[in-house]
Amino acid sequence: MATNPGLEKIQRWMQACILNQGTAEEAIASDAAQAAIPADQARDVVLPSKTLSSLERLDVYRDMYLLRMEEALSIDYPSLKHFLGENEFMRLVARYVDVYPSRSYTLNRLGDHLCEFIATLDDMPRKDFCLDLACLEYALTWVFDAGETPPMTTEQVKAVPPDAWEHARLKPVEAFRLLAFEYPVSRYAGAVDEENPFPRIARKKTWVVAYRANYNLHRMDLTQPAYELLSALAAGKTMGEAIESVMIRKWRPAVKEAHLFEWFRDWMAEGFFQSVELGVTTAV
Amino acid sequence: MANRWGYRDLGFGIGLRSVHFQHILEKQPPIDWFEVLSENYMDTGGRPLHVLDQVAERYPLVLHGVSLSVGSKDPVNLEYLKKLKSLAARVKANWVSDHLCWCGITGLNTHDLLPMPYTTEALRHTIERVKIIQDVLERPIALENASTYLEFAASTWPESEFLAALAEEADCGILLDVNNVYVSSYNHGFDPKAYIDRIPRDRVVQMHLAGHTNKGTHIIDTHNDYVIDSVWELYKYAHRRLGGVATLLEWDANIPSFTIVHGEALKARKLREQEDLSGVTATPELDEVPAYGD
Repeated sequence: MATNPGLEKIQRWMQACILNQGTAEEAIASDAAQAAIPADQARDVVLPSKTLSSLERLDVYRDMYLLRMEEALSIDYPSLKHFLGENEFMRLVARYVDVYPSRSYTLNRLGDHLCEFIATLDDMPRKDFCLDLACLEYALTWVFDAGETPPMTTEQVKAVPPDAWEHARLKPVEAFRLLAFEYPVSRYAGAVDEENPFPRIARKKTWVVAYRANYNLHRMDLTQPAYELLSALAAGKTMGEAIESVMIRKWRPAVKEAHLFEWFRDWMAEGFFQSVELGVTTAV
Repeated sequence: MANRWGYRDLGFGIGLRSVHFQHILEKQPPIDWFEVLSENYMDTGGRPLHVLDQVAERYPLVLHGVSLSVGSKDPVNLEYLKKLKSLAARVKANWVSDHLCWCGITGLNTHDLLPMPYTTEALRHTIERVKIIQDVLERPIALENASTYLEFAASTWPESEFLAALAEEADCGILLDVNNVYVSSYNHGFDPKAYIDRIPRDRVVQMHLAGHTNKGTHIIDTHNDYVIDSVWELYKYAHRRLGGVATLLEWDANIPSFTIVHGEALKARKLREQEDLSGVTATPELDEVPAYGD
């Protein structure tokens, strides 16, 4: 019996057993495990202890794997976990890591494919809502970790000549994400508390900007015109182009100059933009 | 006794944890040093890194990782090493450590500290990898003895001798986790003091202490509780054997207040002072560490 199949086979075998979500017997009999070590030799690979059999010792690692994955994803997706409940969330985690096991040195990247995974599921309760919620929480993790870029100061804004704004391009800070949803998931996440653990959910399109200010995470609800204006600016359109395409062509007369003034005042105050480019070459 | 690189005894530290950020920044507590989990700061530009920069200005830091996967048969992850090197320079890390283990193969990561088979093949492989890693980082690393929950039939080396031989041949340091020695000795039935006796004194740059969870049939290294008396006794033994070595109290789950965690670290100081006052001399140096060709 091959008790020393070699380092690589031992590692391939053990990893295959850990990632397998069946019983230990099913794990050692899996194709992935048997590709390294045949099942009839598996029990000889690990020594039993005085208190545990070889498979029970293997199970110590197997049991910890999913728990660790669930713990990591529940940190990044707390609202999704709250909505689904512990059992359903763990079921989602198990299915997800079966398809997307970690390939990074950090668990921070484990949830990178969760949104696209949820989109493929046919049997998820309130799938569209869960998809929106997951996408919101993923965006928040992204903003949390994004690089820090100082926002424009009041002096920098005031330094822009009034007639230069039409051709100016505003550049958002790095920790900034614009989001569009079918459900009011941002409000849902904010509404959950002890007195209201399960707020009512009704489909309603919403728009949100997630951003960071002074290293703190924030979300701001937007109207659709405001979202489209910010999107145009973030895509590199000049102020004149953005305002014309979004405001004048599409939303007039619903949105007035007063709205524009309030939006820009609030956006500047929240530190949305890191710089403004005047014309073609001049940055402030 | 000083280690061979002259790394100073930093005293008694704890892990830098986000739940304590506010306390540390506001109160600037009189703690000797912090251990920083490398991977938490390698890929973020947000608040954790901002806090780390401030902590690094005031306190000595060391980096401790969990994804170096030093024993894996996968190629060395140069992208990871580049980021680790950059972080170490940024915070002026006193030293960099990880574990004697592997985390995954074929590009996957189980995010666990998986046990090595203690074979000559594994030793030779790990020595070469450590040399590559140290060349890239341009500094020696310290490797910690992880808690393990199984043993491989293929093993021909006791873990302590494997670790000692690795440290000698790769010229790296050792982070002696006293709690892990206890946990592994419970799980595998070996003498924890004999384990410590085999560790080359001049390669130990740091010690860890932690709590664990005893399941009866085995112990899991959970880092979620106070250090038990048996581990304190083993720590005293290690101190008698190794002399003054930077000591870190690990508490990573169910983390209580900073004061409680720091208080647990200060117990180590008190024990060490009592040992030093009692004048217990270090044990005589043991025989040479066997080379892996033996």
